[in-house]
Amino acid sequence: MIRSVIVAGAGQTAAVAARTLRRRGFEGDVLLIGEEHVAPYQRPPLSKEYLAGEQSGGELCLLSEEWCGDNDVELRLGTRVAAVRGAERAVELADGAVLRADALLVATGGRPRRLPGVEGERVRYLRTVADADRLRADIRPGAHVIVVGAGFIGSEVASTALAGGARVTVVERADHPLAHVLGARMGAACAALQRASGVDLRTGETVREYAESGGHAAVLTGSGRVIEGDVVVVGVGMIPNVEPLAGSGIELDDGVVVDEYCRTSAPGVYAAGDVARHYHPLFDQRIRVEHFDHASGHGMAAAKNILGQRVPYTSPHWFWSDQFGRNLQYAGHAREWDEIVVRGRVEEFDFVAFYLDKGVLRAAFGMDRGGEVAVARSLVAARAVPDPAVLRDEDTDLTELL
Amino acid sequence: MTAREWVEVAALRDLARRGRTLVTVGDERIGLFMIDGTVYALRDVCVHKQRSLTKGTILRGRVICPGHQWAFDPATGRADGQDRCQPTYEVRVEDGAVFVDPRPRTLAAEENR
Repeated sequence: MIRSVIVAGAGQTAAVAARTLRRRGFEGDVLLIGEEHVAPYQRPPLSKEYLAGEQSGGELCLLSEEWCGDNDVELRLGTRVAAVRGAERAVELADGAVLRADALLVATGGRPRRLPGVEGERVRYLRTVADADRLRADIRPGAHVIVVGAGFIGSEVASTALAGGARVTVVERADHPLAHVLGARMGAACAALQRASGVDLRTGETVREYAESGGHAAVLTGSGRVIEGDVVVVGVGMIPNVEPLAGSGIELDDGVVVDEYCRTSAPGVYAAGDVARHYHPLFDQRIRVEHFDHASGHGMAAAKNILGQRVPYTSPHWFWSDQFGRNLQYAGHAREWDEIVVRGRVEEFDFVAFYLDKGVLRAAFGMDRGGEVAVARSLVAARAVPDPAVLRDEDTDLTELL
Repeated sequence: MTAREWVEVAALRDLARRGRTLVTVGDERIGLFMIDGTVYALRDVCVHKQRSLTKGTILRGRVICPGHQWAFDPATGRADGQDRCQPTYEVRVEDGAVFVDPRPRTLAAEENR
């Protein structure tokens, strides 16, 4: 019988876990420990609506102080978990206090990967609402924003900066944006979208040196070009916050290793969200995912399993990005495939691409095709082997394949 | 209860063939959906991020918004796992024609108080 749950972390995953515990009738103690001084909030708008100034901080809130009061959920903010003690099901706080519970959920998330040598007054990273507030002041008409990394965060910041009247240069190490997820062909489609929207996109380009002088930022690229701007936004990935688990004996592998029930190698200790490398039965491998929908779904799954329901986390991953006036969505997981079948028109940024591996639909990526990506997600979950001719044919309804 | 204002908006046959259609009555953009033989009407513009629900899809009896995959119960407008609710409209089918009352149910309910 579980009487108390401590969650290390107070982001999306932690918030959803807390809500799920209460909605499922859990009456024991629930404590969320977060390093930021802000109650749990949504991060997706930080690179989009919130950064653009279209949304207020209040609208980001996930768990208000009022909800926590009504539901007897304790938030301990501005507090860092220094260590997780697996065998004792305890957390040690930065001030030395040790708190024990019947179940621990590690939802410590991650932090931006730093680019060595790129340090200074004009360098920005984006993870927290405080980061977004700072960056917002830099986005103004006439400013030149340099973005390093054309991943989702970098691309969305580029889009928001452009819409805010800034000039934008994006420096990407790979030959195409998002190539490690989408492959070269769809990565090229993303590059075309950026360029058609007015981004000066430099692919296959690294940052060799960085300097600041006279109120300007200057990037010396690998090919020897100097790019001068007002601010440099670095979006080169995320590092999972596993440090509190070092020495705990809990298995780590670029994240906290968990099974499909969100269980770590220590009994009673669970992990979920950005920080968790979870076994996914559908793809028969361990995957770590850094997206909103996963953070929610995984937090919910962790809560259910803490309460003793044996519910495997099996849903295919799904994420979206709003950039350059388009809605991009991806469902599933594919790092290798032998065929990409396209429905629609890539050059018009109105398509969905299906990733097939030995005939099995493993993933889909679309621009402004959210309806069809939703169907594709169900097909991926069903391990469907769809007829490519049907996938390609705009006159067929994909739901007929279900 | 105040009288309904029924407006004829579509032919049932056309809706049955496409499964969904967008109609406009005055300032209201209304999405019609036919799910398992029943016609539902929801405001087309998603309550979440202003996408068009008729550009989404119907999956397991839910209307899925194409923008961020919010899944709405077509009868109530409630979205799975979300706090916000999409406005819905009264529907009547008669003689092969679909009629809606273009006043959203929640607002209509307030007027009836």
